[in-house]
Amino acid sequence: MMLEVSPPDTAAAPRFPRLRALLEPWVYLSPTLVLIALFIFVPMAIGISYAFQNIQLLNPSDTGWVGLDNFRTLFDDRHFYAALRHTFNWTLTSLVLQFALGLGLALLLNREFAGRGWVQALVFLPWAVPAFLSGLTWAWLLNPVIGVLPYWLTDLHIISEPYNILSDPQLALYGPVVANVWFGIPFFAITLLAALQSIPKDLYEAAAMDGASGWQQFRKVTLPFLAPMIAITVMLRTIWIANFADLIVVMTDGGPANSTSILSSFIFTTAYRKLDFGYASAMAVFLLVLMTLYALVLLRIRHQLLK
Amino acid sequence: MRHPKRHVLSLLTLSISLFSCASFAATKLTLVEVITSPARTEMLQKMLTAYKAQHPDVEIEVVSLPWGQAFEKLGTMIQSGQYPDVVEMPDTWQGLYASNGMLADLEPRLKSWSGTPDLTDKTLTMARSSGGTATMIPYGFYLRAMFWNKKLFQQAGLTAPPKTMDEFMADAKKISALGNGISGYCMRGGVGGTNAWMMFMAAMNGSPEFFDKEGNSTLTQPGAIKGAQFLVDMYQKGYAPKDSVNWGFNEIVSSFYSGKCAMLDQDPDALIAIKNSMNPDDFSVAPMPLGPNGKAYPTIGYTGWSMFKQSKNQDQGWDLISFLSNKENNLTWSKFVGTLPIYKGAEQDAYYHAPQFAGWFAELNSPDYIPLTMPTHFKGWGYFNSVIVKDSSQETLLGQNDTESMVKDWAKYLTKEQKAWLAAQK
Repeated sequence: MMLEVSPPDTAAAPRFPRLRALLEPWVYLSPTLVLIALFIFVPMAIGISYAFQNIQLLNPSDTGWVGLDNFRTLFDDRHFYAALRHTFNWTLTSLVLQFALGLGLALLLNREFAGRGWVQALVFLPWAVPAFLSGLTWAWLLNPVIGVLPYWLTDLHIISEPYNILSDPQLALYGPVVANVWFGIPFFAITLLAALQSIPKDLYEAAAMDGASGWQQFRKVTLPFLAPMIAITVMLRTIWIANFADLIVVMTDGGPANSTSILSSFIFTTAYRKLDFGYASAMAVFLLVLMTLYALVLLRIRHQLLK
Repeated sequence: MRHPKRHVLSLLTLSISLFSCASFAATKLTLVEVITSPARTEMLQKMLTAYKAQHPDVEIEVVSLPWGQAFEKLGTMIQSGQYPDVVEMPDTWQGLYASNGMLADLEPRLKSWSGTPDLTDKTLTMARSSGGTATMIPYGFYLRAMFWNKKLFQQAGLTAPPKTMDEFMADAKKISALGNGISGYCMRGGVGGTNAWMMFMAAMNGSPEFFDKEGNSTLTQPGAIKGAQFLVDMYQKGYAPKDSVNWGFNEIVSSFYSGKCAMLDQDPDALIAIKNSMNPDDFSVAPMPLGPNGKAYPTIGYTGWSMFKQSKNQDQGWDLISFLSNKENNLTWSKFVGTLPIYKGAEQDAYYHAPQFAGWFAELNSPDYIPLTMPTHFKGWGYFNSVIVKDSSQETLLGQNDTESMVKDWAKYLTKEQKAWLAAQK
């Protein structure tokens, strides 16, 4: 006698178990994915699409797709090349100084001393000041009518007479750079301090027993441990600095004679003064590609360091 | 009816609530002010309180936009469909909004308004400067004249302000020779410097016209180029401070009253700060120096009140504008913000009798001074004024470009804009 086999209970066992297993995590992730798509990728796609259109608010009727026209204009624009050059100068100078001083500060704060908690909190202060306010304060400090810095610079023989370096095309960029360094040191100090505190103390003790000098300990123990953190902070900070036009707009507005205009301030001027969103978006897309390539290189380096 | 009293009471309560609802359904007007300072907003609020006392059914929401971002912010408001009812409209934006057909036509209202006959001709001309139809009621004029520091002039052996452009250059040279970081001229090389460039170019060229009949810019005429070169020489020879390449309004005014530079071409609004910081005997205001043809062309600017066509409360909006623009309020406001008033005979007012105002009224009353109206009817004027002129003139002052190519670039841009505007008028 043959046993009757009842059909599988569909409610208990899935019909396509593999498909379901494959889809299940995505269903759980879907709210996050929808939010990310909605708030990051959709606006970004719209922004990128502007780069291929003619969108000038002063001529609202003359719009439409123009292909690569905005990019062609870009590569013929001497102001764009100047802004690109200033972007490199601004980013590199600010980054190197912020990093070097931030690392120095982190090493100092890593030592035990009375009131360290307070000092750590104070060090973070510039980060809490709005960029607009710090830009304004530094602009005032550099103004010979109300500020002291031009007189100090004259006494140190850096400039010949007390004038505002923000009006000197050779020196103007260093005004916002100084403000930016002051503003950005805490970021490196705090993140590197956290990384320093995670290095096991016994490594230093072992190194000291083997007769390693302070410099050797720094080079052979501290730096290798810090390297992955350095790579990631340098990457983040570079992108932030390159995109950070606030201080420049507040302190010099890109002047005099465009000598301090960086790509992001030039994008701002093109979008909100010339009201040409198409051309501004083309520049923004260029900056996006540049920053993405840079991030890929640094992530690769970090990957090597972690091995 | 079991409880007639209760019914009557309910009916009464209902009618009271309905009545109070109706009285709460006030007209809500939005007023956007764009040239702001806390004191100025306070003054405006004071006037609005007086208005609201007379019109208890009107609520007014004031949106104060800081001048630095006002253009973009108002643009964004309009793009998103939030049309204000009343807007403080600078002359530099009137062209853009009027030529896009967004401003309400005020002509029918001007016809029936009791204040219209007392307005000066200049006021009505400026109200109609974009396309010939009144799209704003100016609240005052900014006319350029020359502030001069009597003390510094005396130190340089001079007794009177310069009457001609040649004297202006010679005086600036003598004062700059005093040393100690003192210069002759407070140059505005940063944002807002356009007026000085255009004024000196017109003075040397002997004409207030920006374009010929075909719409070609006249800025490339030899006289005009000479005028631009005049300012470049002034800076490059050291008769204006080195920093001044980047100076805006605050810097030129503070440098004048701190005695860093001795001559400043400015509007009456600068008088407010200067009066507070300088002894009235140490400075005065003279008419602008005359060009080779014996005439000067001081720029005239104005700001006023406009309504948007899209406003749903145009009648109430106009009522508010006519209140702010009536003789009494206009005089109060003009004195406060530092403009020359819009009504005939206002110079008879005791306030405008001060010796410092003589320079401006001399310009207004003499045929040798022809007010220069900037071509603000272009859509692209704001960009030309705040970006193109600033960037390229700084390049020229710093010797990175030559005057002629700078002027040619300006002329090219202006010709394009004027031709587009002329084509749109057909």
